[in-house]
Amino acid sequence: MDFDLTEEQREIKRVARELLAARSPLSRVREAAETGAYDQALWREIVGLGWGGIAVSQAWGGQGLGGIELVVVLEELGFACAAAPLLSTAAAAAAIDACGSDAQRERWLPGLVAGDLRAGVGPAALALDGHGADVAVVLDGEGAVLVAAPESEPLETIDPARRFAALARSSVAGGEPLGAGAADLIRMSIAAEVVGLCQRALEMTVAYVGERRQFGVPVGSFQAVAHRCAEMLLQTESARSAAYHAAWAAGAEPTRLGEASALAAAAAATAAREVPASAIQAHGGIGFTWEADVHWLYKRGEVDRALLGGAGAHHARLARAAAARLAGGSP
Amino acid sequence: MDLTFSESELAFRDDLRAWFRAHAPAPEPQGDELAHFCWRRDYQRLLARDGWAAVHWPARYGGRGATLTESAIFFVELGRHGAPMMANVLGLLLAGPTIMSWGTDAQKERHLGPILTAEEIWCQGFSEPDAGSDLASLKTRARRERGHWVVTGQKVWTSGAQHSKWCMLLARTDPDAPRHKGLTYFLMDMEQDAVDVRPLRQITGSSEFNELFIDGAVISDEQVLGGVGNGWGVALTTLMNERAGLAFFLQVRLRQLLDRLLREAADRGLLADQAVAERLGELHVRAEVLRLTAYRGLTTVQKYGQPGPEGSLTKWMWSDANQRLTQLAADLLGPQALAAGGSWGYELLRARGNSIEGGTTEVLKNIVAERVLGLPKSR
Repeated sequence: MDFDLTEEQREIKRVARELLAARSPLSRVREAAETGAYDQALWREIVGLGWGGIAVSQAWGGQGLGGIELVVVLEELGFACAAAPLLSTAAAAAAIDACGSDAQRERWLPGLVAGDLRAGVGPAALALDGHGADVAVVLDGEGAVLVAAPESEPLETIDPARRFAALARSSVAGGEPLGAGAADLIRMSIAAEVVGLCQRALEMTVAYVGERRQFGVPVGSFQAVAHRCAEMLLQTESARSAAYHAAWAAGAEPTRLGEASALAAAAAATAAREVPASAIQAHGGIGFTWEADVHWLYKRGEVDRALLGGAGAHHARLARAAAARLAGGSP
Repeated sequence: MDLTFSESELAFRDDLRAWFRAHAPAPEPQGDELAHFCWRRDYQRLLARDGWAAVHWPARYGGRGATLTESAIFFVELGRHGAPMMANVLGLLLAGPTIMSWGTDAQKERHLGPILTAEEIWCQGFSEPDAGSDLASLKTRARRERGHWVVTGQKVWTSGAQHSKWCMLLARTDPDAPRHKGLTYFLMDMEQDAVDVRPLRQITGSSEFNELFIDGAVISDEQVLGGVGNGWGVALTTLMNERAGLAFFLQVRLRQLLDRLLREAADRGLLADQAVAERLGELHVRAEVLRLTAYRGLTTVQKYGQPGPEGSLTKWMWSDANQRLTQLAADLLGPQALAAGGSWGYELLRARGNSIEGGTTEVLKNIVAERVLGLPKSR
């Protein structure tokens, strides 16, 4: 039993944290949101580091690392709230590598890893980076469908730092089924980003309430505020336990990935709403302003929650699976 | 990252499972408090006879020198097999390790054996009516008189005191010293007239806890643990031990209770109702996240020697989940879950204590905010 990152995984996480802190401070995120375009210099650098193919086999140009490395990099993407199409690229590539045919791998993976092809992921009605994508992995119930060059309409959401699309029903209907495992990997990836954005929301809040003074003391010394921060930690760590567990299952126990991913999705969907919302509240009036930057986390959290399909469906699925297992007599 | 057990951990678990299968516990006695205690004591004796009562203790004291993971496995299997928590749980988890850390050779020699075999039961005399969460404000006084310590005061929430031979007693020996400095940790013999144990009737109607009225109890110098005036440091050893292995037992019991509710809900066809399935699934997520977070915490302690942020969260997560679970049972099963004398009704009422015993949720949140997040001290 060793529920911890290895030294190498910590190093990957640390490098990602430092690079994104240097290249993508929240001022760049705001710039991307206000101009409506991704940070292309940042994206070229990310492609150069091979993060989009971190969990893709070396045979297809990837780094040949696993679900845990994918999760820690995406966690850092969320922490930075960076405006680059990494979540869509890395999640789609991991799903195609794990669940696609050799023909599909050959067709898509080298191009995705090299940054020459663009991928969309998510439900058809809310496909992250789906507009103009060369390929989309569409979440459809518990499964996923691969769609080449989907027809789409751009979709403006409350999160202007990222691009979304509504995919045409007709092109999704003609897609190639990838199976439930692909959907599980995509939800795990989204959940990982959520862990990072919650961690950022928590750290920004702790720093703010430690400095902001009212009644002659830091507002973080008031229990109503301090307890809210403690709740934020609980939600963040809950989502992290579940996301890391799914990342481990993806590599070590693929038969358990379905439930592990649903668990990660449910915990992330809950945290994605609660933690950034708490960050805004704890920042007070300033938290409600465009300038304060916590709103980027709230916006990404709400949209990620929608990408995950909310918490309720995963809750119900897990309850029914647990009840079925009990009825089957296994412990 | 490896969320499986190692070969040696699996071998440990298999031995333990074989033992539990060969020693199936008798059915839990209902209603009769003394019979319930005897059930727990007898089972501990059986565990002790075969070296399973305190797996985390070093072999020289009758344990198995188990790792933290093996110790967690023990508590998980204890829960899974429906075996009772050891009658002397406070002795095994708190008094024993505290005596090992701070005790003289003579104290270790005298006390550890009878703790293991449940021959001498222990209780914890820390909390007082006016010193609960604010433990350092305790008032129970120990004075020097004719070469002994003489203790006067009142303790509360002392579980198992009615069965106890010994009490881990925290008392003030120097009222003029700063409040954390004037305390001493005593091993008090409960079998004296000056110690009056009065059961406290809980909201469930039963009495796990007691009040302790101490009026001139005599304690010898040999029963001071860790030195006069050093009581706070010794007490911290006890408190640090408090939430380790138990978390896994509680986590398993929560899982079992949830499985029971899932079965009963499924039997009634309630899972077809999406809203019901969602509420049950939300609890499933809480139970699973608790289990995973407990193992994460275990790894952190094992690798780095001290708990990480997640270590402060599991007791809070457990009490919250258990309270929600028993309330959901009341919602889903209706009057049947609320029947007097029924087990769901008991669980519903008993769960109210979960967020108070062993550190209130409010205090746990303060600890998380101050020690984990580094926020300024709360007001």
